[in-house]
Amino acid sequence: MAEEVETKTEAQAAEQGAPQKDSNREQFALAVAVAGWMLPGLGHALLKMWGRALACFLLVGVLVFVGAGMRGNLFTSHANDAFESLGFLADLGTGSFYLVARSMEAKGPDVSHAGGDYGTRFLATAGVLNLLAALHAYEAARGRKA
Amino acid sequence: MIGGAGFKLSHLQAMLLFAVVISIAFGFLSRRRPIDRVKYILWSLFLFLLVGVGIGWAMYPFSR
Repeated sequence: MAEEVETKTEAQAAEQGAPQKDSNREQFALAVAVAGWMLPGLGHALLKMWGRALACFLLVGVLVFVGAGMRGNLFTSHANDAFESLGFLADLGTGSFYLVARSMEAKGPDVSHAGGDYGTRFLATAGVLNLLAALHAYEAARGRKA
Repeated sequence: MIGGAGFKLSHLQAMLLFAVVISIAFGFLSRRRPIDRVKYILWSLFLFLLVGVGIGWAMYPFSR
């Protein structure tokens, strides 16, 4: 009888602790996602997924480096239309690399040639790719299969 | 191909670079085992290039 009571108490304690554990895991997953957004690959690095972390950092870095080097249009918050706003959101997806790209484009964008247009796409792709990687890290931190 | 302040890539080079980078990213994010990653990267790269070149040829009659 005493053992049964003890078992019930342990089960109740486990049930009460489960939401707390879930909440902690959710907070950690959010922190991982934000870290992954701010510095590409950092989210996966926090989860000790070193290969993915290195891949995200290098691939987003290459896209930003080449995109800015081709003088692609790096959108700012001063958007004139919805497309520029979406472009800004995509560019912002690169996190801290947005500032790197801005510092690289000292002469500003040049989309009068195809190269500049391609550069714009490269920069936007870097941002969206980094957001995808951050979401992947978030799901992995939540315990989903990744 | 690097000139002056920045990169100067041809259309084909830009497409190749884009396809390679995105294929590697997809491979690393969606597969866990190295052999599966390599297979996925190669297959994804092949499809990227096939669709890219295919669309290029499909637009050719309207280019002039």
